[in-house]
Amino acid sequence: MKVEIVTNRDGKVAVVEYDYQSRSVDEKPMVLDVLLQAQLNGHADLAFRYGCRARNCGVCTVDINGRPRLACRARIRDGDRISAMATLPVLADLVVKRDGIARQMRGRMPVQAAGNDLNVEAPEDYHALTACVECYACLHNCPMHAKNLKFDEGGVTAAVAADEGYLWGNPFSLLKLQIVRLDPLSSQAEKDEAVTQARDLGLDVCTNCPGCKCGVGIDLKNKVVKELLDAAGLAAGG
Amino acid sequence: MSIEAAWWDYDVIVVGSGGAGSAAAQAASERGARVLVVSKDPIGCSDTKISEGKVTVRATGEDSDTEQALSDNLRMGGGSIPDKAITQVFARDNRAAYDWYRQRGARPKVDAKRGGPRPVSIAMGGHTKRRTIGHANSGVALSHATWTAVVQTPRVDYMEDAWFLDVVITEATDVGGQRVVGGIVYDASGGRLVVARAPAVVIAAGGLSTLFFPKTDTMRGNTGDAYAVMARAGADLIDMEQLQFLPFCLTSPPSYEGLLCGEPSVASFMGDLLDKNGKVILDCVMLRTRAECAAAIMLAVEDGRGTTNGGAYLDLTKNAQAPLSGDHFKRYLQQVMPSAYRNVRQAMSKAAGQLKEPWEVRPAAHYMMGGLRADPDGGAFAEESRDAIAGLYAAGQAMGGVFGANRLGSTALAECAIFGIRSGHSAAAHALAHNNKVADAAFQPALAAAAKLFGRDGNQSAAVLKVELQDAAWANIGPVRSVQRLDRFEAVCTRIEAALANVGIPAYSSWNQAFIEYIELANMLVCGRAIAAAARERDGSVGGHVRSDGPQISVFAKPYSTVIRRGEDGMFMARRIGREGLPFGRLGAYLVGDFWRKAKLRVLRRLPAPISDRRIRKHYEAVMNKTVGPLEIEPGSLAGAPAESVQG
Ligand SMILES: Cc1cc2nc3c(=O)[nH]c(=O)nc-3n(C[C@H](O)[C@H](O)[C@H](O)COP(=O)(O)OP(=O)(O)OC[C@H]3O[C@@H](n4cnc5c(N)ncnc54)[C@H](O)[C@@H]3O)c2cc1C
Ligand code: SF4
Ligand code: SF4
Ligand code: FES
Repeated sequence: MKVEIVTNRDGKVAVVEYDYQSRSVDEKPMVLDVLLQAQLNGHADLAFRYGCRARNCGVCTVDINGRPRLACRARIRDGDRISAMATLPVLADLVVKRDGIARQMRGRMPVQAAGNDLNVEAPEDYHALTACVECYACLHNCPMHAKNLKFDEGGVTAAVAADEGYLWGNPFSLLKLQIVRLDPLSSQAEKDEAVTQARDLGLDVCTNCPGCKCGVGIDLKNKVVKELLDAAGLAAGG
Repeated sequence: MSIEAAWWDYDVIVVGSGGAGSAAAQAASERGARVLVVSKDPIGCSDTKISEGKVTVRATGEDSDTEQALSDNLRMGGGSIPDKAITQVFARDNRAAYDWYRQRGARPKVDAKRGGPRPVSIAMGGHTKRRTIGHANSGVALSHATWTAVVQTPRVDYMEDAWFLDVVITEATDVGGQRVVGGIVYDASGGRLVVARAPAVVIAAGGLSTLFFPKTDTMRGNTGDAYAVMARAGADLIDMEQLQFLPFCLTSPPSYEGLLCGEPSVASFMGDLLDKNGKVILDCVMLRTRAECAAAIMLAVEDGRGTTNGGAYLDLTKNAQAPLSGDHFKRYLQQVMPSAYRNVRQAMSKAAGQLKEPWEVRPAAHYMMGGLRADPDGGAFAEESRDAIAGLYAAGQAMGGVFGANRLGSTALAECAIFGIRSGHSAAAHALAHNNKVADAAFQPALAAAAKLFGRDGNQSAAVLKVELQDAAWANIGPVRSVQRLDRFEAVCTRIEAALANVGIPAYSSWNQAFIEYIELANMLVCGRAIAAAARERDGSVGGHVRSDGPQISVFAKPYSTVIRRGEDGMFMARRIGREGLPFGRLGAYLVGDFWRKAKLRVLRRLPAPISDRRIRKHYEAVMNKTVGPLEIEPGSLAGAPAESVQG
């Protein structure tokens, strides 16, 4: 099976063709199997991330034919092209710099629960959102996040913004804020602050957007974006 | 020097951002320390995140669950090898430490009557009491809590994509021994080395399962960096032969090999463990430890009775097909191991997923019980002051002495919070009392050694050598060991150590994968040597250490731990330290209880099917909480994943 891997070493981009050797006649390999085999087979320096092999850690996201997928659980087909996620800066080959996403949330959320009585259950929607594995597949086609990559004002480049934490938000950052709003142990002030933070990250952009997609199937459109737009008194459009 | 270096100052460096590292960082900051968290994986992406998310919380099921009951359970389960003082602290801090996760957003089901989190339906994983709390979304839910601790806590700075390479120590002329002055980090994202000066370092860098293949869903980053760093610093490591292999893991297809599919407790009342001919290789599976099951499978395989893929059959069909209790069993399976059962449904046949066929299973490497020989605060323990390494701490899987020869299920995540918090507090106190400036010269040798690796010629690939080492480790220091195998393994280590000198590393500094593989391989080699040295010293079988050429060590024998220390030449010296066994009366009571539980199970299994079925249903009905419904979505569910739309 022949696939293409887009490498990026020290700023030099190249396309490597790799011929995957099946380990059994009926094998249906995952993208990660290809990368692991290539690394042992002449591409020792191939850079890629993975962790659990089981769709739980969220670090193995790559683009397959231009769309984000978890490498450990996405089947590969003849002719597929594997490249780094297009939504974040590349460090090497398939590895992107993820740090700017989490870092933008510093100081925007409570440090710990406000309520003293911990024996309180959370609503179902709270658990629906804490299923997020932080794979960043949802950055794909998010116009709010896209503003970060164009960002080049006052001499501040996208790379610097990634170091300091991005200015504009994304579905993940909104999800984190919505979790605060659903937590029965948050104070009213904290819930209100979460909406303010969402606006500060660019929630307005969502009013003109068809909505986001999650890599593990969380209903971001209704359970995150719509909830925040309603709370902020903004109307969903698009 | 082709790669540049930055110099930073902190009070406490925490290596790792899993449960233990996050708790340590938050706790150290709470005591006024300026903290730097160094994590090679993205913040929070760790074993803690991908775990089943089950946490031991004492006295959640019944009032009789005293501190002594839990502490005894840990010690007996661990072959009397755990450190008594440490298990006592575990039992004492357990409830408060669990709340550390809840204060940061973990929201379990609540038992309103008992006024606390509600435990799962049976005592699982070798526990004598019901005291295991589950979480919707498994460990992923806990990872949101650990993420908050690192990202949101004041005075905590963090760097991800950053490999901690070594601690730097100097002579402590005032008190004798050595003291920690900081560490060297490869910042792959920034494309530089970082010299972090700090009087205390907490190693919370997880386990070493990647030394083996197959391994469970543990993260790839489990290359034993924690143990290697501590060993190179000259610290004592304890019980390093005690490695937990989970018995029931997937055998195929290749992409799934080793992933977790069950625990002894999933065998439930009617489960059987069979060889390829359908012969029972171990009875009373649900009451066995992980080690007993793993050893039984490997011995059958050695004997030529293994399945096609080198395993055994776990037959749960009798449980599932029982007319009255079958549905209860299926719900129980969903409830206790949601992620593992999902692995089964994805990897095995439909019939196996529906429990109509036995599962083909095999052991895989999972958890290191050994680790830093530590005091109950996680601090490096020294018998004499000249051996002290002041300022070195470990927490989580990296710390030894907690579990001895076998870890009970759901205790690791409790361990992370308990000893994460304790080590954080204690590291902060030490650092704030010893924050005098150290001359930069102390860091130069370690810095230069790391820098000169960039741009190195060589024709060997560390990634390829890693696989060679994994194979040798599985075959020789894996679930079955002997002197002959240890000899063979050490010969392989010698060969790979020599090849290490010829590993080529390009000069570029930003995310240099070859450098990363090299560093990790070197650490894996140190760990392999450590396990082999400890395994030689323990010449009989106990817990996770099975010797095919030695006797089973009796529970009545005087228990001891192995202690190893690495010499200048890279070889480990091993010795034994005595452990205090449980008083005879409590040991006897424990053994009688164990015998009695097995006898009852054997009788139940011999009853006519309709009668046993009714009894089993009654048991499930009494303990199962009926309100736990299926989740709307699970991480990785096939229903979701539009970005992945499964392609055939
Ligand atoms: C499939 C599975 C299911 C499990 N289920 C349960 C369960 O239900 N209950 C339970 O109690 N336990 C369970 N465990 C065990 C438990 O998850 C782990 O033992 C525990 O999470 C370890 O926590 P830790 O903080 O010590 O290490 P980890 O959570 O593994 O964190 C290690 C951290 O160190 C970092 N690191 C490693 N090396 C370096 C380095 N050189 N430089 C910088 N950073 C480094 C990593 O990036 C990571 O952030 C399970 C394990 C697995 C694999
Ligand atoms: S709805 Fe908002 S968060 Fe979602 S993709 Fe559109 S702009 Fe991004
Ligand atoms: S919201 Fe979904 S797609 Fe986005 S990071 Fe979380 S799991 Fe991934
Ligand atoms: S490797 Fe963990 S999600 Fe893919």
